[in-house]
Amino acid sequence: MTKVKYPQKRNYRQRAHSNPLSDHSFDYPVSPDVMDWTKLYPRFKPENEVKFCDIGCGYGGLLVTLSPMFPETYMVGFEIRVKVSDYVNDRFLALRQDNEVYHNAGVIRTNAMKYLPNFFRKGQLEKMFILYPDPHFKKCKHKWRIVSEGLLAEYAYVLKVGGLVYTVSDVKEVHDWMVEHFTNFPLFERYDPPAEDKAAQVLIGSTEEGKKVLRNKGQSWTAIFKRVEDPYVKNCAGT
Amino acid sequence: MSVLHYDKHTNSFLLGVGANLYQLSENRAKLLVKCGEAPETTEKEEPIKEGEKAPRAEGPAYITGVATCEGRVAVISNNKVVETFDRDFQRVASTVAIKRATSVQITDKTVVISDKAGDAYSYSTALTDRKYLLGHVSVVMDMILTPDLNFLITCDRDEKIRISHFPNCYNIHSYLLGHQEYVLKILLLSPNLLLSVGGDQKLILWDLSTSQPVQTLPSPQEDYITISYSPPYILACNSRHVTVYKLTDTTLTQTSQLVTDHDIIDVASSDSRVALLTREPKLEIYQFSEGVMSGKCEVEGEIDLSQFKDSVLPEKKKVVRTAGFAEYFERKRKRIEEENLKEESKQAHINLQEKSKETHLKG
Repeated sequence: MTKVKYPQKRNYRQRAHSNPLSDHSFDYPVSPDVMDWTKLYPRFKPENEVKFCDIGCGYGGLLVTLSPMFPETYMVGFEIRVKVSDYVNDRFLALRQDNEVYHNAGVIRTNAMKYLPNFFRKGQLEKMFILYPDPHFKKCKHKWRIVSEGLLAEYAYVLKVGGLVYTVSDVKEVHDWMVEHFTNFPLFERYDPPAEDKAAQVLIGSTEEGKKVLRNKGQSWTAIFKRVEDPYVKNCAGT
Repeated sequence: MSVLHYDKHTNSFLLGVGANLYQLSENRAKLLVKCGEAPETTEKEEPIKEGEKAPRAEGPAYITGVATCEGRVAVISNNKVVETFDRDFQRVASTVAIKRATSVQITDKTVVISDKAGDAYSYSTALTDRKYLLGHVSVVMDMILTPDLNFLITCDRDEKIRISHFPNCYNIHSYLLGHQEYVLKILLLSPNLLLSVGGDQKLILWDLSTSQPVQTLPSPQEDYITISYSPPYILACNSRHVTVYKLTDTTLTQTSQLVTDHDIIDVASSDSRVALLTREPKLEIYQFSEGVMSGKCEVEGEIDLSQFKDSVLPEKKKVVRTAGFAEYFERKRKRIEEENLKEESKQAHINLQEKSKETHLKG
């Protein structure tokens, strides 16, 4: 029996930063109606729907942890870097050979800032994950940040009302930035997950970034937000 | 860059050439006002974020867009100046936008602009109280504020048409997805029908209640330049063709086509006239009746077309940039091949050793 070969990170090294505003050549469907998810998940059926999305999934740590925890749920990671997404792809191919699980998770090389509505219908997602996003410290790079007032409208669009966004960062400034933006946005509210929320428990320990932070005895801050109904509509009910 | 605009409130055309705004009624042109003058910085500064400077007018001043409502006309210029005028064309208000504006809409209560950074802002009629409405990740190419003021429709270079609620634009109503290149221009034909043209050389008629295309027409000749609507006729311009379609119910049928001698820059239409600006530069007025353009008319009056500023279509995206990564995949393929070969020869060596051990034991 041939031994399953797991990908080794040293063969997939790539620079950490990529310009999300420029036109790399991506594969993305014209609309969610024509997206063929069976390319990613061989067992995907027409009545299935992807429910979780890890934005900037890096080397796939969160998906590998979540996949067996939610075996009935289809989940996808978006990663803009070619080699890193290739690594995750190979990782899942190897995992699926070795195990009966992991058929519900996969990765797509794409730009989450531009193409979320191409992949997901309105209100399709139940959970979104933004773990250890690139801080893009310089002022001139702020528009590369994955959390901004403009992008929050898109996240609110693909998430169902009641859906959750999980965020983590080991950079306090980035955590504060995300908290400020999400709480000031009318369609999101800070949320304290109950103890049963399994996803909330694995936010820090499951990713490569998170494990590195733990090893270096650094600190990570988490914040979870719930997608709520538009308050504006309610207020104007009388007009 | 939309410099020809049909003003239904006065049944005339407004034309922006360089910084000059002209009015064309009954084939007579009249210079109205010079636009793009940078406002003096006054005490009524817009709220500025910490560390940011107040936007300043910069670059050559020429008109890039016009919008009208009953009592007012709004003009955006290349130097970031946004102005409103009353119907005597006296300047009522002006301000400097954060980035160059790409589209403008005006009602009696608000002015809305979209800009090159992909953002849209609203202002009060006095051009104060700037509010951030929404942001695309690429440049917003065109924008419509629906007449019922319930929706703001924006289209961008990333093939998307986005319909947001208004003024709560953070709440996206829907997307119209179908174009495969930048979406250049959009027109609202009725509360339920939208028309769009894009760099993919498609003209698409959309049903807004289902967010689906109901009809897609390919371009008769290369790229679209612009579109115009005079119910029930739609004029679609390529660089040398004006194709007229009639809208019946939810179907477009071609009624006529005109070939021009020079490249078209912009077009505007009323029930009885079509104004065409060409790259020569020349301004042509045609009679328009039953969906057919005829009888080119001479324009009387002084229009200084020497100040004309040409417009350029955006670059298309389908340039493959995986050159660097093709190398990576090639190296990966070779690596995997070598690894497999090594595995095979190692396995073969082990098998050989096992065999010789056996024979040794037996022997």
